[in-house]
Amino acid sequence: MTSLRPALYGLAALALLFGLIDFGLVLTSDFLSVRGVWASAGLLVGWGFIGVGLFAWWRRPDNRVGMLMAATGFAWLLSLVGASDSELLFTIGQATSSIFFATAIHMLLAAPDGWLHTRIERRIVAVGYLVVIVLVPPLYLFVDPARDLDCRECPDNLLFVARDETVLNAFGAILNVIGITIVVAVLLSLVRRWRRAPAPERRLYAAVYACGIALMLALIGLFALQSVSNDSDALDVLFAVAIAPLALIPYLYLAALVRARVLEGGAMGELVARLGEAPRAGELRDALAGALNDPSLELFYWLPAERGWVDPDGHRVELPGEGSGRAVTGVERDGERLAAIVHDPSLLAARAHVRAVGAVASLALENERLDAELRCKVDDLRASRERMLRIGLEERRRLERDLHDGAQQRLVSLALNLRLARGRLRDDPDAADRLLAGASEELEAALEELRELARGIHPALLSDRGLETALETLAHRAPVPVRLGELPDERLPEAVELAAYFVVSEALTNVAKYAAASEATVSVGRDDGRIVVEVADDGVGGADPERGTGLRGLADRLAVLEGRLEVDSERGHGTTVRARIPCG
Amino acid sequence: MALSVLIVDDHPSFRASARMLLEAEGFDVVGEAEDGRAALRAVRELRPDVVLLDVQLPDLNGLQVAERLSANGAVPAIVLTSSRDLDDIGAVRGVRGFIPKSELSGPALEALLTP
Repeated sequence: MTSLRPALYGLAALALLFGLIDFGLVLTSDFLSVRGVWASAGLLVGWGFIGVGLFAWWRRPDNRVGMLMAATGFAWLLSLVGASDSELLFTIGQATSSIFFATAIHMLLAAPDGWLHTRIERRIVAVGYLVVIVLVPPLYLFVDPARDLDCRECPDNLLFVARDETVLNAFGAILNVIGITIVVAVLLSLVRRWRRAPAPERRLYAAVYACGIALMLALIGLFALQSVSNDSDALDVLFAVAIAPLALIPYLYLAALVRARVLEGGAMGELVARLGEAPRAGELRDALAGALNDPSLELFYWLPAERGWVDPDGHRVELPGEGSGRAVTGVERDGERLAAIVHDPSLLAARAHVRAVGAVASLALENERLDAELRCKVDDLRASRERMLRIGLEERRRLERDLHDGAQQRLVSLALNLRLARGRLRDDPDAADRLLAGASEELEAALEELRELARGIHPALLSDRGLETALETLAHRAPVPVRLGELPDERLPEAVELAAYFVVSEALTNVAKYAAASEATVSVGRDDGRIVVEVADDGVGGADPERGTGLRGLADRLAVLEGRLEVDSERGHGTTVRARIPCG
Repeated sequence: MALSVLIVDDHPSFRASARMLLEAEGFDVVGEAEDGRAALRAVRELRPDVVLLDVQLPDLNGLQVAERLSANGAVPAIVLTSSRDLDDIGAVRGVRGFIPKSELSGPALEALLTP
């Protein structure tokens, strides 16, 4: 914002010059009465809006109210050009005389936070600009100042084409109806805003709201009178009545800004004192809520490793989005994202103050972020431990079922066959021989099933011969052809070898069951202090790591070793399961 | 006259071995069923004297099958069997007795059926 200040100075100089020119034009006007009053009032309103607008723009650059206020001041000064005796300036001034109404309405509806909140507000403002820029100037094609404005001393209207009273009256009536509709809509919106504003905002901007409402009531009167009477004196009086609240608005807004600044300064001092007392859990939120006078304030923290937000208790959260009725102001420390202050949208009017509060509290926020990160990790570990326990129970149940359905059934059949054979040994030795041969086959099958089960519990080959041999055997036994890539030629810590073995075993089982692959590759390498186990296939892809207990169980096993599991499985492009396990 | 037997077990190898053994020892094996619902149907149709009923079945377990059979008037003698031990199953009512699968034999079954 370094280029803002010179721009604001430039606008101030322009406003000064413009105001002085207007002052001269009004004072020397041949057709205005009470010129001194008009010239002074004109400057009071124009410079008031521009001065306060530029000040507010400078103090709160991301709040549009200052800019809109300055725009209203310039539009007002432009309308004063209509006091000139020059035909050109008179015509320009008359044709643009209503623009300041549109900017004033925009400013009133956008105050105090600078945003139009509802679709209705946005439509009112759009229609306002449309009327004053597109519909009003053509009206002057039919206005003869001497007869229609009852002003014989006025210069000629350069836009005047022809006098047609019917067209002029119809055009004027339509514009009056549109004008009165807009003003009533603004009035209702202002009342609604006032009723819904949080108490601090209502207190601070009460006078501004009141003036805005008074202005709208006066304008309703003006439009109503215009539609029933052509009494120019009465219209002048009512216009002067409407100008009074308009003139007051910038000064009351300035008073509110100064008061807010004083309150913000006091709140900031109190916040610094509270932060100095090393706030405990929860107190930091209370301190910030107090400083920003927003009891609904919430604090969320950014965890870079998780690439996500957590609340102070470490629970994962999503930041409120658009339309949630909440506003978010980010807090950074040393250029790094640190926290988010989630607050009432009314505080957007003082966003710089919210940012300042965040900056002052950033050290305390950093401390609480670390606490939240720790709590998040503890939660993750607790969840992982519970999953490990559940997986352990499931594995034991599966083991019992496998034993029951497999080896145990074979041994039962074996026992029965042996008993049968014994009974026939004397009477029918051939039958006994067949039964014994069957029993021998059952025994072999039971032994093989027991070996398979034992391998699933703990692969003895891995302990005895190491990962390389164990993986070669896994590859050899897999139903899909497996190509072995880089494998470690040294022994790794037992827990790491076991985790790597189960990753390959589970991944190859999945390849055989679901991938419809023609080949798989297995590699175990090192990368930046980690062992990277990778199993890739050329199958159908589309594996979802969240579905099925196998991959999730692997992720939990790895989490115990602070390892991570990644699954790339775009549909139609095969699957790659990759585990990264910290190792020495 | 030989006692008629229905063998209810989800393992075909056991059903085959049990049929051979019981037939060799004088029983008339009138049918086999591989789950609880098939067993209930088979009892209605075949009216066997004895049901050799595995405790663990894919749908209803053996105890539930025994309960449903007891609720229907003419009740065959129900003998539970399992590759588990009785200690793994717990006390059971409404059945004639229990034989571990590995100890199944004609005399063992007769001993349970003799009042």
